[in-house]
Amino acid sequence: MDETTATALQAALDAGASYADVRVVDTSTENISVATGVLEGVEHSDSFGLGVRAIAQGAWGFASTAEVTPASAADAARQAVAIARASALVAGSPLTLSPVEPAHGTWTSPFEIDPFAVSLEEKLSLLISADETMRAEAAVKLTKSHLGFRRQHWWFASTEGARTEQTAVESGAGIVAYAIADGEVVSRSYPNSHGGGWQQAGWEYVLGLDLAGHAPRVAEQAAALLAAPYVEPGTRDLIIDGGQVALQVHESIGHPTELDRVLGEEAAFAGTSFVTLEDVGTLRYGSEHVTVTSDATISGSLGSFGWDDEGVPAQRDYIVREGTLVGLQSSRESAPTIGRTSNGCMRADGWNRIPLVRMTTVSLEPGTWDFDELVADTEGGLYVETNNSWSIDDKRLNFQFATEIGWEIENGKLGRMVRQPNYTGITPKFWASCDAVCSPAHWRVWGLANCGKGEPMQVARVAHGAAPARFRNVQVGVGR
Amino acid sequence: MLTPAEARELARRVVALTSADQAEVLVASETSALTRFANNHIHQNVAEHDTIVNVRAVLGKRVGVASTNRLDEASLKAAADAAVDAARVAPEDPDFPGLPESAPVETPDRTRESTRTFDAESRAHAVASIIEPSAQLGLLAAGKVRAAEHSVAVANSLGVDVAMALTGAQATVLSMGADAGSGWASFLDSDAANLAPTALGREAADLAARSANPGSLDPGTYPVVLGPEAVSDIVDFLAYVGFSAKATAEGRSFMSGHEGQAMMSELISIADDALAPNSLGTTFDYEGQPRRRVQLIDRGVVGQPVTDSYWAARLGRPNTGHALPAPNSFGPMPLNCEIAAGNATVDELISSVKRGVYVTRFHYVNVEDPVSVMLTGMTRDGTFAIEDGKLGRPLKNLRFTQSAIQALASCKGVGRERRFIGAEENASLVPALLLGTFAFTGQTE
Repeated sequence: MDETTATALQAALDAGASYADVRVVDTSTENISVATGVLEGVEHSDSFGLGVRAIAQGAWGFASTAEVTPASAADAARQAVAIARASALVAGSPLTLSPVEPAHGTWTSPFEIDPFAVSLEEKLSLLISADETMRAEAAVKLTKSHLGFRRQHWWFASTEGARTEQTAVESGAGIVAYAIADGEVVSRSYPNSHGGGWQQAGWEYVLGLDLAGHAPRVAEQAAALLAAPYVEPGTRDLIIDGGQVALQVHESIGHPTELDRVLGEEAAFAGTSFVTLEDVGTLRYGSEHVTVTSDATISGSLGSFGWDDEGVPAQRDYIVREGTLVGLQSSRESAPTIGRTSNGCMRADGWNRIPLVRMTTVSLEPGTWDFDELVADTEGGLYVETNNSWSIDDKRLNFQFATEIGWEIENGKLGRMVRQPNYTGITPKFWASCDAVCSPAHWRVWGLANCGKGEPMQVARVAHGAAPARFRNVQVGVGR
Repeated sequence: MLTPAEARELARRVVALTSADQAEVLVASETSALTRFANNHIHQNVAEHDTIVNVRAVLGKRVGVASTNRLDEASLKAAADAAVDAARVAPEDPDFPGLPESAPVETPDRTRESTRTFDAESRAHAVASIIEPSAQLGLLAAGKVRAAEHSVAVANSLGVDVAMALTGAQATVLSMGADAGSGWASFLDSDAANLAPTALGREAADLAARSANPGSLDPGTYPVVLGPEAVSDIVDFLAYVGFSAKATAEGRSFMSGHEGQAMMSELISIADDALAPNSLGTTFDYEGQPRRRVQLIDRGVVGQPVTDSYWAARLGRPNTGHALPAPNSFGPMPLNCEIAAGNATVDELISSVKRGVYVTRFHYVNVEDPVSVMLTGMTRDGTFAIEDGKLGRPLKNLRFTQSAIQALASCKGVGRERRFIGAEENASLVPALLLGTFAFTGQTE
């Protein structure tokens, strides 16, 4: 691979680039899904290619090809430089990259059992077992069980002398039961909705989830939800489970603190941010219970790596500390706008995409509360679990989330089940209302394999550490 | 990238490599380039070439799928073998009807040379023209200019053997002011020569200037005029959760049990029609079957959902040719939806509203309930109060929580001008709509 990457970099320099980097990415995936007793799909896919990013005349260009040879790499490099020259026709200020020591080395994510070495028969057996268990519940008319595995091997080299090689193995799994009756559909998922749970791990992660063991509860709750009432519209104290807190962090802290969004670079698609450059160090983002980190070094997290896709080492950085905004997720190009160097958040979705500022593991740090004690401390309110839908405005202020299930809290005890409770709020006001976060015993990292951003669209694999947390006086039952 | 003839030859060759009872090969080859701009300059500029070969192998009633973008002989054979290996261990699906047989397909020329030659320098000049009206007004423009060419081929061991090429040129522009105003405009066509960049940039800039210093609106239910961009979101979600035979059979669609019943205003007719002369996409689906015109909603009455070979056989319906690439957990999907045009201009729609809201487009819409198509999302880039039949004061972005079915049931007017929204392979052709009731449940700050 060294010959291919070196050829690309030399071709870029020969064409007039002042900087270039090249990534070669080899990705294999396997997806298996069973729906209501029938195999819905078993699929293996491979994607291999390279992309060259170049600066010429102070502007960026990028070109990619699925042909991985020295000759095609050189062609892609020359095309990237030509595109950069075209960019320069409508250029902004000349690009400057914050300094970084050229990276050298290899990195591999941890796993015990290679998921690609496990037989399809064993994988199908696990899914079918979970599927049959869910269908034992009469009201459950539709079931879905899914396994996904991904192995990515990638090489990075730059004209500054960086040379790295990395491998990540990921495993994911999940089940969903749909109870359907009289034109109404409700769903219940485990371990999470929208693709289940994901980690940088092997087959041992899937075994540890015990899908079949959780299937009876999932099916039973789906059936019960059909008869459960909607939550009464109004304002309630809300305890949110870790999985939904993870998505709340993702949408209302993760995205608005991406520095490229703050700078307006995503304005036309995903939107901008209510956060401004001047807010760093001063903005009250939430209560003193809200401390948020960006950390690419957590072992097994979907957001971890050795170096980002600019060769910046993985690191842990504070975004919000005790309620105050203290940092942003950045790149080599954007970091100087806040007087810093990159904190290593540039990630690309494969060989044919440029790196963008993406979340790594953006976490709400744990507090001190035991979950049962938190419920007992809540006189009246609502406890909600597992995301059902999500929406937030283009500045990441006004959000609305629906969850799969909830329970009313009365006099410190979980009571009646409610169906698909939703809630809405304004980001800094909502986080200011956070008065409790559960302890490390309740905190874990939730992998999200479906974060969309950029044009052409890129899907990033990110993660969030989260524990159940309480928010006061939240508007619930919207539009019911 | 491959020509349609090359893609077709490759598909046939991989079918022959596959040692299955039946085999199907989809070849999707693409070259595309996208110039992205923000803050009145180009900040990202990318190009890619890729060809994906997708193999579906059938052993009796067992099916396996594998795909690769490596086109050497050994990799293609490995993909074919991987599909067979997967099929070998897959449980039988007693309802699997076998792969579809060949059916006649029209393949009109939907490529344009001007799009093929829309290179980085040409795109940069287009970007400069798009930005100019915003810059003149002291506004910041962001958006993209994109050009793409696709070759798609499908072959199977039962004689399906089709190929087609298409091109797409796309441009979007968001114009923003320091006073919270913003405006939007978009372009989609097979022909880049039809892009009028300065006019597009001016449309967004004028809207941004007009929407400066937005104010508040009390939550509540209002009549609303939705511009085509906003209407496209509603149609897309109907297609996503409602128009599929699979969703209908599973009881997850508003269509379930309601075929032939009036559920929307008689002003609403929705069809999927890849064969329309001005349609942009392929005329066959990812099983190589002809995409037939399907009347999904006929003057408010629920029509038939779209099918693929599996769901057509399972439900005893005709195959309408709406398969997605295998394996496909979504079921069949319409990719060329259009709402029949009405006879009103947008100004006429607005003039019939005493007090209401005009929405240019939505942002981040999602489904809270699939059967009622209960959607929530935000407005953006040009939201205005309608006061006494005229576009009035600009409004801060509003959150809506609204059943799309109920909203379309309240339709009181349909625009006569329609626009393509989306991308060339999945574009909706939609007019503006006047809806009698639309629930706004919140507002941003």
